[in-house]
Amino acid sequence: MARRTTIPFGPQHPVLPEPIQLKLTLDNETVVEAIPHIGYVHRGVEKAGERMDFGQNVFLVERICGICSFIHALCYCQGIEKLMDVEVPPRARYLRVIWSELHRMQSHHLWLGLLADAFGYESLFMQFWRNRERLMDIFERTAGSRVIISTCAIGGVRRDISPENLQYILDELVVIQKTLDDAVDVVLNDRTIRARTVGKGVLTAKQALELGAVGPVLRGSGVAVDARTEGFAAYGELGIEPVTEEAGDSYARTKVRARECYQSLDLVRRAIERLPDGDIAVRPRGRPDGRTVSRVEQPRGELFYFMGADGSARLDRLRIRTPTFANVPPLVAMLPGCEMADVPVITLSIDPCISCTER
Amino acid sequence: MMLSRVLSNLFSRPATRPFPKTSREPVEGYRGAVEFSQEECVFCGACALRCPANAIEVDRPAKTLKFDLFKCIHCACCAEACKRGCVQLRSAYHPPVYQKPEFEFSGAPVLAAEASPATE
Repeated sequence: MARRTTIPFGPQHPVLPEPIQLKLTLDNETVVEAIPHIGYVHRGVEKAGERMDFGQNVFLVERICGICSFIHALCYCQGIEKLMDVEVPPRARYLRVIWSELHRMQSHHLWLGLLADAFGYESLFMQFWRNRERLMDIFERTAGSRVIISTCAIGGVRRDISPENLQYILDELVVIQKTLDDAVDVVLNDRTIRARTVGKGVLTAKQALELGAVGPVLRGSGVAVDARTEGFAAYGELGIEPVTEEAGDSYARTKVRARECYQSLDLVRRAIERLPDGDIAVRPRGRPDGRTVSRVEQPRGELFYFMGADGSARLDRLRIRTPTFANVPPLVAMLPGCEMADVPVITLSIDPCISCTER
Repeated sequence: MMLSRVLSNLFSRPATRPFPKTSREPVEGYRGAVEFSQEECVFCGACALRCPANAIEVDRPAKTLKFDLFKCIHCACCAEACKRGCVQLRSAYHPPVYQKPEFEFSGAPVLAAEASPATE
């Protein structure tokens, strides 16, 4: 029997933007077992959410994740709106879709850049991040901040987008799409990238469902599940078809994210085209009472909030399940059987967001 | 694609800006430096009540307002809460500093230039 070795992968590793440790048991160069360890960036957000005013929590939950901050706020606000029976005005729902999809696009740009960086494709990494910079500029101009945009509020949104800025977004999207075309073409067709992603880290549809995978990991295995099809915000009126790929390997997950960038481009354009006039927010009256759940689709997958309120200004329970939390068990199932050299790319292929996971 | 990219990178200007030689025009509506106009303030405490980060402390009987810039998250809730428009977020950035002084003012008006932490 070959000698088995245990190697710690992380918590600090060039491919990991955030700390997670995988204890890998190797049989020569082949991974036999992977045991994840988390707990390096726990911040106690759930507990903090029980100590703050329910309106102030919007700013707290946004800080769980810097990459999809708006979508966290959206999920929280939708839950509270359900508890308080608040009807959000149509214009606010469309604006929420615009900001959500811009967030999805910038998150996928960031990830595609990191993937290129993991292969040592520095220039490609720069192309994606330069394109992402245009999206950040859109946030700055429309929302007043680049990362944590703080535009979602209970009952609607806090800012309107002026017609000039809507035109500015449309003009920028043309440039973004052109650069994206070139860069995605390299990611999907380059020989080296294909050699290191095709057939690596395979997750079958059955495994993905059994292990509770979400988002591009699940859709990359051919399961068409996307929380946006439930029709929250204005997704119901805009209509959305989940992007799926059949293979279930790292390449399929990459392709799902690349195609979702185009889907988001399309959704933003259609949302701007159909943007109705009217109010952007209603003032919520009273305090939340009862228990509810809220689900939205983040760039990494389905985000789930449970909130319990007792009619006071503070929630008595806030439970947050983030997509990476759900995608860690599928990652552990993907790794056995792969080569040690493929572990970084397979780990990256679930788009791990550890600060989200640990909250 | 690669050759065109190499050529365009060779002959085009860098995508980045040579900061601080050329700085960027501030964007209208950016939530930047927080400014209090103390002449207008009636110390009602609405800003402190709404602040999610507890960065503002108002003592109504003593007529004092304290603002801790390190705690501030630039959400503009204070500006929304203030009925008299005493709090505003300018589109300029807070300049980088080693220490952010706690901004404090009381009922007796003092010169804004002396106390304001937000400088151009």
